[in-house]
Amino acid sequence: MSDAVSAVLELQQVTKKYGDLEVLHGVDLAVDSGELVAVLGPSGSGKSTLLHIMGTLDRATTGTVIVDGHDTAALSEAQVAGLRAHRIGFVFQAFHLLDGLSAVDNVANGLLYSGTPRAERRARAHAMLARVGLGDRAGQLPRLMSGGERQRVAIARALLNRPAIVFADEPTGNLDSHNGAEVLDLLRELNAEGTTIVVITHEHEVAAAMGRQVEVRDGMIVRDSRRTAEAVAR
Amino acid sequence: MRRSRLRPGDSLRVGFVGLRSRKVRTVLSALGVAIGVATVVSVLGISRSSQDELLDQLDALGTNLLQVQAGQGLGLGGNTDLPDTAASQVRNIAPVEEVASVTSLDGPALRSSYADPNATGGISVKAAEPTLLDTVAGSVAEGRFLDDAVDDYPVAVLGAVTAERLGITAVDGQTSVWMNGRAWQVIGILEELPLASDLDRAVLVGYDAAATYLDADLAPSRLYIRTASSSVEQVADVLPAQANPEEPENVDVSRPSDALAAKAAAEDAFTSLFLGLGAVALLVGAVGTANVMVMSVLERRGEIGLRRALGATRRHVRGQFLAESLLLSLCGGIAGVLIGAAVTFGYAQAKGLHFVVPASAVGYGMLAAVGIGVLAGVYPATRAARLAPTEALRAA
Repeated sequence: MSDAVSAVLELQQVTKKYGDLEVLHGVDLAVDSGELVAVLGPSGSGKSTLLHIMGTLDRATTGTVIVDGHDTAALSEAQVAGLRAHRIGFVFQAFHLLDGLSAVDNVANGLLYSGTPRAERRARAHAMLARVGLGDRAGQLPRLMSGGERQRVAIARALLNRPAIVFADEPTGNLDSHNGAEVLDLLRELNAEGTTIVVITHEHEVAAAMGRQVEVRDGMIVRDSRRTAEAVAR
Repeated sequence: MRRSRLRPGDSLRVGFVGLRSRKVRTVLSALGVAIGVATVVSVLGISRSSQDELLDQLDALGTNLLQVQAGQGLGLGGNTDLPDTAASQVRNIAPVEEVASVTSLDGPALRSSYADPNATGGISVKAAEPTLLDTVAGSVAEGRFLDDAVDDYPVAVLGAVTAERLGITAVDGQTSVWMNGRAWQVIGILEELPLASDLDRAVLVGYDAAATYLDADLAPSRLYIRTASSSVEQVADVLPAQANPEEPENVDVSRPSDALAAKAAAEDAFTSLFLGLGAVALLVGAVGTANVMVMSVLERRGEIGLRRALGATRRHVRGQFLAESLLLSLCGGIAGVLIGAAVTFGYAQAKGLHFVVPASAVGYGMLAAVGIGVLAGVYPATRAARLAPTEALRAA
């Protein structure tokens, strides 16, 4: 088994109920620092709910969720928000860039709620934009950029607070295959540089490009490539 | 465990960006607030400007003018004149500075001998002392006033309204009016007399001329009295006994400036009426702003979800929408004050008034704007803050 200390994310027997409807039935999942994990499942499998719980946007009904060493059940709303501001990054299918702000200001928003001074936020945002290959588009408004560029801006924003873990929800869902492939390449590069990334997707090709595949169906994990590998190794 | 934190400057900037990203909507809803504030500011400004004008006029004309005439009361019948001695008796009151008597005469005064003697046009004929003009703080528009040199000649001075009704605009030595079967040369036309507006509708002649050419009873029908400003009340108290010792109860004393003061006070009543209108305009502005903010929250659920994902707390989200609402109405308020001042300026220019925008008007205007911002912002901001991040992200 992997060492518990190096786990960035740990879910133990997590369930989620909406009223009488249970959409997650006792999920166990651990993600280690430096991993690139795909959570694969068709729509309605519960993978979005799982993403929200992993990302602390929602709370589990029962079970334990430990993010970056913090048991989230013990944290207040404000403390959980602090965890998101400092330790977690998100990338969304719809990008969620603010239209009124230039690319660099959108990226700088990644540190907006960390209390970092604006000048420092912008300086780091410029560097991060350069890292994702958009150094020359810093002043551009998002609506004038291509989908692939926008998603790279969103990725730069997610990485700006040097998060312990990044969640990417269908990051290629709104992109054509060429732009999608570029975004996946970027995610792999960033992972190679040490960023822990969890990609939620319903596409097998996307999942196949990741280092580890976790398959969710009907609110349960039905396959986890790391466990299979460990079992084989044993 | 580090907390999430939004710097105060950033929270303002976040609100500002929210407004800047939706310019048309921002301008329109700020305009709603601006109209309300402009109404309040211009109502207060215009009323203050007119009041200032009246008070200035009052200052210039003085409040130390008293007027005495025979009363109508006590069943004494037709005697509407004061005793012949009234003027000289009144002059004996120590604080009295000037006295001018006026006697109403039988008309009519006509433009010429051919005019219809029944068509008097409301114009009366009065004998007046040369001191009258100074006493009522009047001035001559054309020509000259009656004086001792012309007192016994058949000459006339026209009140402002009289001149207009008779169609006489210039004093050229040729113009005359027709009274009692002879022509009276017009030697002067008066400006309007705010303190003695009945004289505006009169033709004034000298006492000696009246005695010679009109053969009239010259008992004074009215006295105008200037007193020392400090003893107006005391003089008013002793006037009846002094003017008509035999029938002091048959003497009416009044203070013409009271009418102007009442007019200034009446401005206040109009002001409250129009302020009511302003309040309605402000209410409409508030409802508009609230509407825009509620729509904004509905439309921007994705942004709210994003901000929560970036680490914003509920408080940060609430603060953002409150800041937007406040900034919006503050801009509206500032624009409203400027528009209101401009309207007041235009009105004052057109009416020849002083341009005054009282500080209180600006204060109330801005206060109303801030009030609107808070009132219109609280509910939408609370709704935005209550939105669960997952719900916000799902909706987008």
